[in-house]
Amino acid sequence: MTIRVLPPEVAAKIAAGEVVERPASVVKELIENAIDAGATEIRIEVRQGGKRLIRVADNGCGIPSAEVELAFARHSTSKLSSVEDLTRIITLGFRGEALASIAAVSHLTMLTRPADEPVGSYLRLEGGNIINREGRGCPVGTMVTVENLFYNIPARLKFLRSETTERQHIDQLITRYAMAYPQLRFSVTHEGRLTFQSTGSGQLSDVLIKVYGLEVAGQMLAVSSSQPRAEDGPSEDGQEPRVSGYVSVPTLHRANRDHLTFFVNGRWVRDRMLTHAVEQAYHTLLPVGRHPLAVLRVDLAPAELDVNIHPAKSEVKFLHSERVFATVQKAVRRTLVEQAPIPVISPQSGQWTAADWERRQALITADRERLPTQLALDAQRPGEFLTPAQQAEDKLPPLRVLGQVARTYIIAEGPSGLYLIDQHAAHERILYEQLIAQKEQSPAQALLEPTILELTPDQIAVMEEQLPVLTRLGFTIEPFGGSTYLVRAVPAVLVGTDLRQALAGIVDELAEGRMSPLAHEREKRVIASVCKQAAIKAGQVLSDEELRELIRQLEATTMPRTCPHGRPTMIHLSQAQLEREFGRR
Amino acid sequence: MRVSCLQENLAKGLSIVNRAVATRSTLPVLSNVLLATEQGLLKLAATDLELAISCWIGAKVEEDGETTVPARLLTDLVNSLPPERIDMELVVRTQALHLTCARNEADLKVVDASEFPLLPAATGEHQIALPPETLRQMIGQVAFAAATDESRPILTGVLADFSGDKLTLAAADGFRLSVRSAPLGEVGAEPISVVIPARALSELSRIAAEEEAPITMTITPGRNQVLFHLQGNAGALQGKVFGIDLISQLLEGRFPDYNQLIPKTRHTRTILNTGEFLKACRMANIFARSEANIIRLSVAPDHMTIYATSAEMGDSVSEIDAHVEGDPIIIAFNAKYLIDVLSVVDSAQVALETTTASSPGVIRPVGDETFTHVIMPMHIRTESANE
Repeated sequence: MTIRVLPPEVAAKIAAGEVVERPASVVKELIENAIDAGATEIRIEVRQGGKRLIRVADNGCGIPSAEVELAFARHSTSKLSSVEDLTRIITLGFRGEALASIAAVSHLTMLTRPADEPVGSYLRLEGGNIINREGRGCPVGTMVTVENLFYNIPARLKFLRSETTERQHIDQLITRYAMAYPQLRFSVTHEGRLTFQSTGSGQLSDVLIKVYGLEVAGQMLAVSSSQPRAEDGPSEDGQEPRVSGYVSVPTLHRANRDHLTFFVNGRWVRDRMLTHAVEQAYHTLLPVGRHPLAVLRVDLAPAELDVNIHPAKSEVKFLHSERVFATVQKAVRRTLVEQAPIPVISPQSGQWTAADWERRQALITADRERLPTQLALDAQRPGEFLTPAQQAEDKLPPLRVLGQVARTYIIAEGPSGLYLIDQHAAHERILYEQLIAQKEQSPAQALLEPTILELTPDQIAVMEEQLPVLTRLGFTIEPFGGSTYLVRAVPAVLVGTDLRQALAGIVDELAEGRMSPLAHEREKRVIASVCKQAAIKAGQVLSDEELRELIRQLEATTMPRTCPHGRPTMIHLSQAQLEREFGRR
Repeated sequence: MRVSCLQENLAKGLSIVNRAVATRSTLPVLSNVLLATEQGLLKLAATDLELAISCWIGAKVEEDGETTVPARLLTDLVNSLPPERIDMELVVRTQALHLTCARNEADLKVVDASEFPLLPAATGEHQIALPPETLRQMIGQVAFAAATDESRPILTGVLADFSGDKLTLAAADGFRLSVRSAPLGEVGAEPISVVIPARALSELSRIAAEEEAPITMTITPGRNQVLFHLQGNAGALQGKVFGIDLISQLLEGRFPDYNQLIPKTRHTRTILNTGEFLKACRMANIFARSEANIIRLSVAPDHMTIYATSAEMGDSVSEIDAHVEGDPIIIAFNAKYLIDVLSVVDSAQVALETTTASSPGVIRPVGDETFTHVIMPMHIRTESANE
C-alpha cells in the first residue's frame, strides 16, 4: 500500500471527530467561546437533541468583521499567541480548533457584532466551506447556529444515541457550566420550550436550587476556602489551591459518582484524583457503595495546571497533585465535621406542615424577586437540623440514658429531644477514635498460647501487605510456614472477644475491600475493622452503668454521629417532632 | 405427696439449689424445682442440664410422692412466710401444691415430676475424697483464671488432674494461667484428668463454704459427668440440710499442656509484700482502667515502681520495697490480672518472676511451691521500637 498525505477535508473530519464527538461537545465548545468572550447571558436553543439544530447566542464581545473568516481557519485563535502562553492559560478555549471542527461537520451560521461596529457580520458555512457572507444588523454579541450536525459523516450520525440521551448530555453539560459560572445567566430551550434558566445572581446556591431542587440544595453544606495551615508549611510559590462550593450532608448520598462535579479554574473536569479526595473526606461517614454529591471549584495558578491533555479538555494534570488532593480533602472534611447535622426521623413524605409551607413560600418568593438567596436557603433548611452554632464545641449535648431497646439500641434524652443510639455503632466509633489517637503506641496483650490463623492465598497477600499496620495496632503475627500464621499478641481492645472469630473477620474484611492508595487511609480501614470486632455487639445486655459510660464516651468523640463504616450511630427525634406527632401543636 | 418441714429448712434448701435453676431455657420444666420425698427427707433439685444441684432437708414425710413447682415462685413465697412449720400436699385433682404455714395458705400450679430430667446417682468407679478446706482454697485460686467467653469452650473449664496422691487444678483464659496442686489424703486408683466447668466449681465452693466432712467426688463411668457429694449438717446447715449433690457435665476437648506454659527460666525474681503490691495495683488501676488496664512495673535493685498513665485523666506512680534477685526490668501487665491473682494469694510475701518485657511473668507465693500463676505481659509499642 502506498503512503499518502490525506487530503485536507479528510484530515479536517478526523480532527473534528476528536473535538466534536456528539451534540453536547458542540454545545460545550460554543458555551466556552461565549464565556471567553465575556458574555453575561448565554441562551442555548436545541432541537431534536441537537441533531437538527443547536444555537448558542451570547452578549459577549463579538468578532470584528475583518476576522470573522479567520475564526474558522484551523488553529486560529485570539486566546493564545505563543507557546509560552500555553503555560498560563486562563481562557477556556485555546486550541483554535473548535469552530473549524464544528464547521467541518455541519451547516454553520454565525451572526456577530462587536460593540464598536455598526453592522454585524453574517457567515454561512457548509462542511467547512464558506458559501455566503454578508453584513447584517444584529445585537452586540455572537450567535452561532449549528444545523444538521454530522450530515457529512454518516458513520458518526449512526452512532449517536437517542434524542433523549443526547438531550440529557446537553442538559448535564449546561447545568455544570451554570454551576461553574453562577454569575452568568444561562437559559436552555428544547423544542422551543424553556427547560432551565439560571438566575445569574452570582450565588452558587441559587444555581444549586435550580439544578437539584429545594430539598437537595437545602442539604448541601458550603465549603469555604481553606486557610493555609501552619503544619502544611508554606508552599513554594505561595499559591495554595483554593476550594469552594457545596457538598452534601452525610445523610444525602447517591448510588454513583455522577453527582461529583469539579471545576478547575472554571473548567469542568473529570478527575479521579479529585473524586477520590472528596470520597476520602467522607470516609466512614457514608454507607458502603454510596457516594456524596459535590459541586466544587478548585482555583489555582494557571502555571500549576496542564489543561492541554485532551482535545475536549475534560482532563487536566496538576503540577502538585498531592497538594491539591490534601487541600480538597481537608476543606471538605472540615466542612463535614463542623456542619454535618444529625439525621432526623422525617415525617411521612408528602405531609407538609404549615411551617414547611411557609419556608417554601418564602423561598419561592425570594427566588422570584432574585434576592440574595443564601438567606432563603437557610430559612428553608428543615428546622430540626441543628445549625452549626447550636452544636457548639461539644459535639453531642449531654444525654441522659433512659434504657436499652431490643438489647441493641440505647434510648437517651437530650435537651432537644429523644436520641436512639446503636450501641454497636457507637462503641465502634469510640474505639476507632481511641485507636486513631493512640496508634503510635497501641497497648497489646500477649497471648498465653499463640492462635493459629490459616489463610487463603489472597488473604496471605493482604496479610503481608498490611502486616506493618497490624503490628502498629498491637498485633504480633508471625509466618509459620505455608499458609499458617501465628498470632502471639493482640490489641488490648480485643481482649474479651472471641479472638479467632475476630481475627477471621478482620482478615476477611481486609481481603475483600479495595484498598486506598494512601497509606494512612489503609491504616484507618484496618483500624475500623479491628474496632468492628472489638465493639459491643448488638444483642448484648448492658447494665445502666455501662450504658451511661458508653454515652459519656460517645459524647467525647469528635464525630459521634456515624460509625467508622459510615452507618449512623444515632437517630434524633426532636422535641418539636414529638409534639407534632402527638398533635400537641 | 404430703410432707411438713420448717420454713428455715426449706428456705435454706431452696437457696442452695436455686443457682442451678435455668434462667432462660426452652424447656419450661427447667425453671422448676423438683420436690420429692426420699428416705424420710425432702429432696429439692434443680438443673439447667449443665449443672444440677440436689439437697436433702429435714422433713416429716406423711405420704411419699414427687412434683415440680416454679422455683422463683416457691422461693419468693417461702421467703415471705413466717418461721413456722410448712405443710405441703399435692392435690392430684387440681394439679396443685397446697401449702399451709401458720395462717397462710397457697396453691401452686405444678408440673408433673416425670417431665423433670433424671439426675445421675452417686455411683461410679472413681471415688475420691477431697478435704473441703483445701478444695475451697484451690478453687478460689484457680477458677477465676478460666475464660468467660465461649470462643474456646474448653477454656471455660478447670482441669482437674489426679495423679498418685496429688490433685492439680489448672485454668487458663488465653492471657493467664493459674495452677494449684495439693496432696490428697489417699492414693487414687489410677491417674485421671477431667475438665470441669469453672462455674460448677465456683458453685461447689459456695455451697461447701461451711462443709467440714470430706467431699466425695465421683466421675461417672462414661466420663462425661462429675458428681460431688457433701454431707451437709455443718455450720449454718446443721440440723437442716442432710446431704447435697452437685452434678456437672464435663467439658470435652484437649486442655492446653499447662506445664509447657510455665516458663522454666527467669532473669529477675522480685519479692514483694503481697498486701502492698495489691494496694499499689489497685491504685494504679484507677488511672489504668481507661487505658486497657495497662500498668508498668519497673524493677530496680531494692524497690519496684508502678506507673499508670491515662491520656485523659493523668497518671500515678507508686513505689514499694522489694527484694530483687537479678537484672532490673520494665514490664507491663493488665492491672486486673494482677489484682485477681494477688487477691487469692494467702502468703505474706509474693515473688514476681520475669525474663524479658515480652515473655510471661510468673507470680508465686513465697514459701509455697503449690501455686503458680502465669500472666502474659502487655506491650506498649512505640514507633521507634517498631522500626
